[in-house]
Amino acid sequence: MYDLSANDSLKEKLTILSDAAKYDVACTSSGVSRGGKEGYLGNSVAAGVCHAFSADGRCISLLKILMTNHCIYDCKYCKNRVSNDVERALFTPEEICTLTIEFYKRNYIEGLFLSSGVYRNPDYTMEKICETLRLLRTKYKFNGYIHVKAIPGASEELLYSAGLLADRISINMELPTEQSLSKLAPNKTMKNIIEPMNRISGTIAGHRVAIGKSARMERCGINKHLVNSIFGPEAGRIEGSSNQPFLYPAERNDALLRRPFAPAGQSTQMIIGASNETDLELIRTTQALYQSFDLKRVFYSAYIPINDDDILPGKDTPVPLLREHRLYQADWLLRYYGFGAEEILTKDNPFLDYRVDPKCSWALNHLDIFPVEINRAPVEMLLRVPGIGPTSVKRIISARRYGNVNFEMLKRMHVVLKRAQYFITCNGKMLNHTPIEQRFIMGQLTDLEHREVYQIEDSLNTGRQMSLFSDYNLEMA
Amino acid sequence: MTIFTCAPGWEAMLTCIYEASESKLGYKNIRLLLEPLGQQSFLDEYIHVEPDEVKAEKVATSIIRGISFQFYQELAYTAMAYEEDVLDNIYHVLLLGFKFGENALKMVQYRDIIRNREIRARVVREAERFREILRFHQLGNLYVAHFEPKSRVASYLGPIFQDRMPSENFMIVDDVHREAVVHRKNEPYYMWQINDREFARLAQTEEENDEYTDLWKAFFDSIAIKERANEKCQMSHFPLWARKHAVEFTIDERG
Repeated sequence: MYDLSANDSLKEKLTILSDAAKYDVACTSSGVSRGGKEGYLGNSVAAGVCHAFSADGRCISLLKILMTNHCIYDCKYCKNRVSNDVERALFTPEEICTLTIEFYKRNYIEGLFLSSGVYRNPDYTMEKICETLRLLRTKYKFNGYIHVKAIPGASEELLYSAGLLADRISINMELPTEQSLSKLAPNKTMKNIIEPMNRISGTIAGHRVAIGKSARMERCGINKHLVNSIFGPEAGRIEGSSNQPFLYPAERNDALLRRPFAPAGQSTQMIIGASNETDLELIRTTQALYQSFDLKRVFYSAYIPINDDDILPGKDTPVPLLREHRLYQADWLLRYYGFGAEEILTKDNPFLDYRVDPKCSWALNHLDIFPVEINRAPVEMLLRVPGIGPTSVKRIISARRYGNVNFEMLKRMHVVLKRAQYFITCNGKMLNHTPIEQRFIMGQLTDLEHREVYQIEDSLNTGRQMSLFSDYNLEMA
Repeated sequence: MTIFTCAPGWEAMLTCIYEASESKLGYKNIRLLLEPLGQQSFLDEYIHVEPDEVKAEKVATSIIRGISFQFYQELAYTAMAYEEDVLDNIYHVLLLGFKFGENALKMVQYRDIIRNREIRARVVREAERFREILRFHQLGNLYVAHFEPKSRVASYLGPIFQDRMPSENFMIVDDVHREAVVHRKNEPYYMWQINDREFARLAQTEEENDEYTDLWKAFFDSIAIKERANEKCQMSHFPLWARKHAVEFTIDERG
C-alpha cells in the first residue's frame, strides 16, 4: 500500500515536470556515435533515433523533463514563471536516474533531456543537475545520450562538469535581441547567455583538437563541395568578446571520467512570435551563431500564448506554425544547401514568403540562371534547384558517371519533378514546354503548396474565405 | 518460360540460382520465384528446387571471389525482403554484377538495379522502424519484445540491440517468421527458430504490464502540446500498423 502511493507520487511528478518541459523544442538524440560497452547500458547513434510520436506529431527521442519547475525568474512567456500559480514539483536525482534507466531498457527512449527552472539560484540548480548526471553516469552506468540545459548565470566550473557528463549542452537564447530580452525576460541578460555559449564553444573546440579532430564540428558532407557554404573555409570563425574562451575542471573527479566535452556540440532555441523580430533578424542571428559559436543546431519554437500579459500577444493569437515551418526550411538552406542569410532575405523584404518555400522563392527571384542542365551542372548549382536535395544530388552525380540522365531516371531517383521541372533541362530539353516566367511558375508552385499551407493553418482553426485576388496573385492583372 | 521455385531461405535461394544458370536456358527464358506460389500459368513449366548446401556454397564462393564480399552482403540484405520478385531480382543483379563488377550496384540506368535499391531500402527502412518502435517487457531480469515485420529483419536487429544493451538478458521475437534473437548478459546473441510450444509460452509475456509502462503512458500523454495537436502528422510518422505492440497506444484493460 505504501509502495503504491510512492509510485503515484512519482507518476504525478513525472506528469507535472514533463508537462512543464514540453515547450522546449529540442528533442534530438543526434550528433554523436558511440558503441556500447560491457557492463554499461546504452550507446548512441549519430543520426539519432525517434522512439515515439506524441499527439502533436513531434518525435519523442529523449525523456524530456525538468528537474524542478520551481523558478525564481519571471520570464513573461514562460509557463513556470514565479508569478504563475501552477503545481510545482521537484525530482530527486535517484528518481530521474531510475526513470531514465528503466525507460531505456524498455526501448522507450534514447536518453535523457534534463532542464530545470531556477531553484534558489543558478549555481544551486546547476549543481543539482550535475549531481544527477554524475550519478547516472557512474552509479547507474548509463552510456546513452544526455542533453543538458545550462542555466544562464551558473558558474563556469559547473558548466564544465555538465559538458563532460552530457553529450549535448545547450543554452536557450529565447529572444534574438537585447531589447526584447530585457522586455520579456527581465532576469536574463544577453551577456549571461552569449558568454557561456562562447566559453562552451571554445572548450568543445579545444577538446576536439586534443583528440586529433578538427576544431569545428562535422557538418553534412555536401558542404565540402560547396564554395559559399557558411561552414566553408572562407566563412571563418568570428571570435567572441571574451579573451579566454576555455573552461577548466572544477574537480578532478569529472576529468577522471575520461569523457570528451559535449561531443554532440551545443544548440540553442529561439521563440518565434512573442516579440517583433523580423525573419531576416532571426535568420541572420542563426547564421551568426553557426559561424561564431559553431552551434550544431538552432531550434525555433512557435510562441504558444499561455500567459496573459500586456506586452505579449493575446491569448487568442494563433500559434505561428507556418512561420516556424518556413524558418526551419530557411535553416536547412543554411546548413545543407550552401545558402547565406543575405541570399534568402534582404532588408527590403525581411519576411519569408509564406506561399512558397524559401528555396522556390529564391529560385523565382533568380530566374536568369535557370534552366539548369542536369547532365553538366556543378553540385552547388544542382542543389539550388527546387525539388532537388543533397540525396538527389548525390544520386545524380553518381549516375552521371555511367551515362546520360533523363527525366524518367530523375523520377526514379525521387527527384520532386513537380517542383524541379520548371527549372531544369535534361540533354537540352525541358519536361514540358513551360515558360520560364516568374508569374507563371509562382502560380504553379503556389498551387502545389496550398495543401501544405492549409494543412498547417487548418490545425489552428483560422479558417477564412479564400480571395481570388490575394491567393492567386491577380491584383496586378 | 521455365520457372524455378524454391522455399524462402538464403541457402535455397542460392541453390535455385545455381540450378537456373546450370539449365543454360538463357536469362530471358527463365524466372525465379519464391514459394508459396500464387496463381500458376499452364503455359509455363515449374521446377521446384530443394536447398543443397554444396551448390549454395559454390554460388556464394563465386560471388565473393568473382565480384566482392560487399556485393554478396548487399544481396543477402535484399534476400530478407518479402517482395514477390526478390529472387528474380537477385538473379538479374547477379548477372549484371558478373558483367560490370562491384560497381554494377551504382548503375541506376538498369531497371533491375533501381528495383534492387528499392527492395534494399525497404528492408533497411523497415528494420530501422522496428529499432525505434520495439517495446520490451520486463520478466524478472529478462526483457522480451514482440514484433510482426513483413521482411525477416530480426537478424538485422540482433547486433543493434546487442550494442545497445550489452549487459542485459533480452529476446526479440518475430511473431510472423517464428524466429527470435536471444541475448544473454555479456555474451554474443544468437538466432533461434521458435517451435509451437515456445511460441505459446512467449505469447503470454505481453500481458505483463509493469509500473514503468504506466509511467511511460503518463509521460507520453503529458509531453504533447495541446495547442499544436496534429493527428495527421502523428499518423504519418507512427502509422496504425506500427502501433500494434507499442504500449503507449494500447488501452489498459485493468481500468
